[in-house]
Amino acid sequence: MITLSKSAKKSLEDYLRQARAYLRGSKSLDADEVEQNITEHIENELEGAAEPVSRDVLDAVLKKLGSPQQWVPEEELSWWWKIIFRLRSGPEDWRLAYISLTLLVAGLLMLPYAPAGIVLILASFLASRAALSEAANPNELKAQKWFLYPSLIIVYLFVLLVLLAWPLGLLIPLADGYEHALMESSSRFNNETDYWITAVSVILAGLGLWWCILAIVLLKPRRLLRVLFRPFAEMVRSKWAIRLLLIGLALMILSAGTGILYYQDFI
Amino acid sequence: MDAKFFDNWTNQLRKGVLELCILNDIRNRKMYGYEIVRRLRKIEGLIISEGAIYPILSRLKRQGLVETSIQESPDGPARKYYKLTKQGEEMVSQMNAYWQAISGATDSIEKG
Repeated sequence: MITLSKSAKKSLEDYLRQARAYLRGSKSLDADEVEQNITEHIENELEGAAEPVSRDVLDAVLKKLGSPQQWVPEEELSWWWKIIFRLRSGPEDWRLAYISLTLLVAGLLMLPYAPAGIVLILASFLASRAALSEAANPNELKAQKWFLYPSLIIVYLFVLLVLLAWPLGLLIPLADGYEHALMESSSRFNNETDYWITAVSVILAGLGLWWCILAIVLLKPRRLLRVLFRPFAEMVRSKWAIRLLLIGLALMILSAGTGILYYQDFI
Repeated sequence: MDAKFFDNWTNQLRKGVLELCILNDIRNRKMYGYEIVRRLRKIEGLIISEGAIYPILSRLKRQGLVETSIQESPDGPARKYYKLTKQGEEMVSQMNAYWQAISGATDSIEKG
């Protein structure tokens, strides 16, 4: 048994996986037998080479063996096998890119039948994140970005929207009939306008406070931001957090000011 | 355009000729896969990727033209030897005759 270097071993594993996947698509041959012959061929070719065998030496042998796609005529393979082959045997970053895009398209098509669509989009997001983890540097992903980034952008935009605007969601139950109950139970509100000015002021003040907290979190633990919104967090600048902080403060002041101005007569 | 045409033509021709060469190679004695590759790679232009020989051997076996036997090797693990079956011998005889006829006819046309 010949000892291979770590990188040569990985190269051989990738090659044999690719060969196995491709050969299994042809019914006219025995994939296991061919794989065994290929392995023997490699061992024979490497006999006498300095051990551990380097990747360069191994790659020269693999180059002479050729790509498994050259071994079996394409017409012997069905179209669906060719797609499966690309998914199963392509380099990891491409495989995950194909999976991510397929899941996203399926998710968007299934969206009317929630939760299946949402689950598929989340699965696509996870595949994209896995591809990012696989790549040492996201900048290494070139064309794959077009397959990986759509699901990331969709999920990140949703998360961002929820993070920024969830306090506004409190307006929904207030508008949904609760105002009458509140107006009846509170003598402070003379009419509906009073009620709404109070409710909106309180919620905007809450929103302002939340944005201030969010801005401080964004300013300090940048690492958390990088992990959560990889790889786009790199584009976020400190000045954005400062702007969010200032807007938050402005909202709080505006709400407090409105309350004071409106209720000064009562006070 | 000419180069592409030539590549396509040689690819089509090579596929059939490679099968004929493999069958002829094991006609007189059984051989193991790597041994066949080593012999055939000496023929210039016949093999583009050496790995292509193994799927052909497997396909020929499935078609019943060759059969295999495992034999101990003094140099290492046991080897799988390929040899022609009776059906394979008949087939290679027919193929050789056809090849001779085509080759002869092509030569005579070329010479005018």
